[in-house]
Amino acid sequence: MRNFKFKRSLTLVTVSSLLSLTVVSIPTAARAADPACTTANFVTTCVGTTSDTAPYSMMVPANFNGTVYLYSHGYRPNVPVPAGIPGYGGYTVTNTPQPGPNATVIGALLAKGYGVVGSGFARQGWNADSAIKTNVELVGLFKKQFTKTTKVVAWGESLGGFITQALAEQQPALFKAAAPLCMASDVTPLMTMAGDALWGIKTFFDPTIKGGSYSAGAAGYAEAMGDLVKVFTAIGSLQAAFAANPSTPAWPATSKVPDAIKAIPSRSALVLVALMSGIPMQSAHFDSTSAPAGLPASNALSFQLAINPAFAALENVANAAALAVLATHDLELQAGGAVFDNTATDYSARVAEEQFAWSSALSGVSGTQGLLSVLAASPRAKADPAAVAKMKALASHSGKVEIPTILFTGTADPVTVAGNQQSVLDKYAAYYAEKWAAAKKAGERKRPVNNQLALWNFPAQKYTKFTSAGAPDTSVPAASGTNHCNFTTSQYMAIADLLAYAADNGVNMSGGALLTKIRKAGNMTLDRGYSAPKMKYYGN
Amino acid sequence: MRFVAAVLATGSLFATALPAHAETGVSSSEIKLGITLPLTGAASPGYNKIGDAMNAYFKYVNDNGGVYGRKITLIQKNDEYSPQLSIAKTNELILKDKVFALVGPLGTANFTAVHKSVGLARRGVPSLFLNTGFSGFANKKAYPTSFAILPSYAMEAKIAAQFLKDNMAGKKLGLVYQNDEFGIDALGAFKAAGVKFDVTIPYTSGTQSAATAQTWVSQLAAGGAQVVVFFGVTSATAPLLAVAAGAKYAPQWILGSVGSDPLTLRALGVPVAVLNGALTLSGNPSPNDTNDEYVKFFQEINTKYNKAAFDDYVLQGMNLGLMTVQALRAAGQNLTRKGLIRAMENKGSTFASVGYSPLGYSKTSNVGHTGYYMAVMDATGDRKPYGGSVVVYTTDSGSGPVVKSTFKRPALPAKGLPTNS
Repeated sequence: MRNFKFKRSLTLVTVSSLLSLTVVSIPTAARAADPACTTANFVTTCVGTTSDTAPYSMMVPANFNGTVYLYSHGYRPNVPVPAGIPGYGGYTVTNTPQPGPNATVIGALLAKGYGVVGSGFARQGWNADSAIKTNVELVGLFKKQFTKTTKVVAWGESLGGFITQALAEQQPALFKAAAPLCMASDVTPLMTMAGDALWGIKTFFDPTIKGGSYSAGAAGYAEAMGDLVKVFTAIGSLQAAFAANPSTPAWPATSKVPDAIKAIPSRSALVLVALMSGIPMQSAHFDSTSAPAGLPASNALSFQLAINPAFAALENVANAAALAVLATHDLELQAGGAVFDNTATDYSARVAEEQFAWSSALSGVSGTQGLLSVLAASPRAKADPAAVAKMKALASHSGKVEIPTILFTGTADPVTVAGNQQSVLDKYAAYYAEKWAAAKKAGERKRPVNNQLALWNFPAQKYTKFTSAGAPDTSVPAASGTNHCNFTTSQYMAIADLLAYAADNGVNMSGGALLTKIRKAGNMTLDRGYSAPKMKYYGN
Repeated sequence: MRFVAAVLATGSLFATALPAHAETGVSSSEIKLGITLPLTGAASPGYNKIGDAMNAYFKYVNDNGGVYGRKITLIQKNDEYSPQLSIAKTNELILKDKVFALVGPLGTANFTAVHKSVGLARRGVPSLFLNTGFSGFANKKAYPTSFAILPSYAMEAKIAAQFLKDNMAGKKLGLVYQNDEFGIDALGAFKAAGVKFDVTIPYTSGTQSAATAQTWVSQLAAGGAQVVVFFGVTSATAPLLAVAAGAKYAPQWILGSVGSDPLTLRALGVPVAVLNGALTLSGNPSPNDTNDEYVKFFQEINTKYNKAAFDDYVLQGMNLGLMTVQALRAAGQNLTRKGLIRAMENKGSTFASVGYSPLGYSKTSNVGHTGYYMAVMDATGDRKPYGGSVVVYTTDSGSGPVVKSTFKRPALPAKGLPTNS
């Protein structure tokens, strides 16, 4: 997922895959078991493949200090996306290895004497189980190649964050510390979030979207790509309708909801889709708070309470819906059948609290009830139990870590929502409580070390920009804390420094040193009292 | 939130210097409190006076020795009535300003969002005297650190329903209500009481304007509504009454307590003549009733420390200050958040308050005032008891009966300075 994000989802047709921008360019000629190494500018780069044919890249400076960073990249679709599909057109499946978040960070780490290593993984899509094995083998190969290696730390983003957390839980002897960043959740909640978003778009805006239960082989691929087109067509229609009349935007022509429901602004349906899926209500350019200057006070309040949140939902749902189609197709391929099931989902209960806070955006109680009645009356998606069982057998997080881990995410990440990080924190908290209870029972008086450090990137209070004409300006960069894995080089380097400290000391940095470190990096918050909203679908 | 890391760093330097019993927001000389409310924007008229009024009373208390020697600092944050901004501002109060407690946070949607996202209960932050009448906040299990002050909208509607049945039988009824938990509370209570409206108009919060009021008036007039009950905020009452006056539509208005402050309505352009004869529910005396010892005292405080036009909002703000001081005193000299919550539960129902109805605080209840009386506005916009004397009715937010209250309001503490413990 790291490689797919919208920077300007309100200009969907101009957005292209960011894959080529974020993957570090690494020579991939050598695919043999033994790495092929070259040295240039005091950096030795070795490329090769692990036993599962996954290409990897190792980079080590001449002044290697013995510590290496194993990076796990994010989700890349396992199928090509044909040209012409907004946002994704032209993507081809690639397993180019990626030893760090970006070239700048890799360069900075090498300059500090660290080594970096990363795989491109043998299979794309949801590949956590195989990627974990690949990474374990890769660490062995690195140590064999660079015998001065003394410490290995793991980090990764999005799906790579999931893999990193799993490595920390499963391989404490192999890693000194780990940093799962903007981590994906276990696959079941991930598919619930994605499935809810996709089913909501289908139900409200285009019932011809298949949304899952894709056919086998080429036919299923065509169905999934067709869904992508339909989803972005619907979102494009909404975008145009919002621009034309933000107060009461029209419903897409493809929508088949009853006319009485169409009296409710379509923007409210989109807000409901976001809320019921657990998608945040702050997006790259919309803070759900600001209004253009110069509006009459009553119009400004309406913009703040109803219009801005709808634009936020539009940007964020576009991100989530794309993931939904691609991941659903992928997981169904792996599991052998439909994996999303909402036959027992009570969407009314799902938004029981949120509907009060977002009442205006949802067009009040009557608007909310009207929209929920559509969901209640619509056919539900039913999963294949055998496929669900297979999906549930895939790697998942226990939260039980014995090595220092550093978690960091934006609280308004629309793809890997902050609840994912919270879910792991809660699991660790339960584990820690168990450990402490057991220790006390055994007569221990000293609390066990808390190995988990959670950091958050909160968006600013207000960041929506408007043009001089009063229109939202989506040409500016995404706000900090929003968008998917939207980190700065300073933040990456702060995480890297924290990992190095933890590797050297066996515990996470704390106290004034930690606070100074994150303050200097900017937009990193340590707040032990904060708990990210967690949807019921996490099951804990 | 960019400041938070720095703030935490600063805070940690001082943490070890505090006495062992130190609590966030409390030092040997100061108690820091915070409030979020709309200070600007369409929803701000009236509401924007509450914080300053509370602060004026605190200044008076500070000038008279504070609370056990500690002076109260109130930090106001403008949330513009936006729930998302309320979350950010409350986080700021808790993490940056390090307030001891919230007092008087305003708005149902706002507090709902804050409570969940900021995690007030999990953090153990007391939230006293919520400026919202949503009955859901009475759920002590869900809101263990929060305490209401206003009677619930459900209570208000039940009492209004009783009045309608007793006094307006046979007339065509209209209802305009805010289409969220505010209005739904009322709607449910009217329905339970068996009151049927001939014209029902929900409006979504934030859409109130002269243009939307035009459609309300058209619907009410077309439906022949002779009595119109309004459950909404003042910024919605004002265009409704103003547009109705312009259209020569003059039903018997019954205005809910939240949206009926005459001074604010007049400031928003409502001709005073329109207010003449309008009925309203109220829990407090008129802010012009100088025979009332609380009103008289608060007017003096306002003159000395605030200098705002004295109205229902100023009265409410000062009363929140008075109650806050009693709560802080009841929590004792060794002030802690847990102690404050215990004090509210154990002693809150005995606090002196300008409100005419009993306070419902207990170990199992975070309900504040529990009743209303019916009032009528006169030709000057002042509010007088309907029928010539204050007759307070109390009830609950559920199926309990509406009963005439026999409650005797506690006297104002001497010089307005609580001495309770």
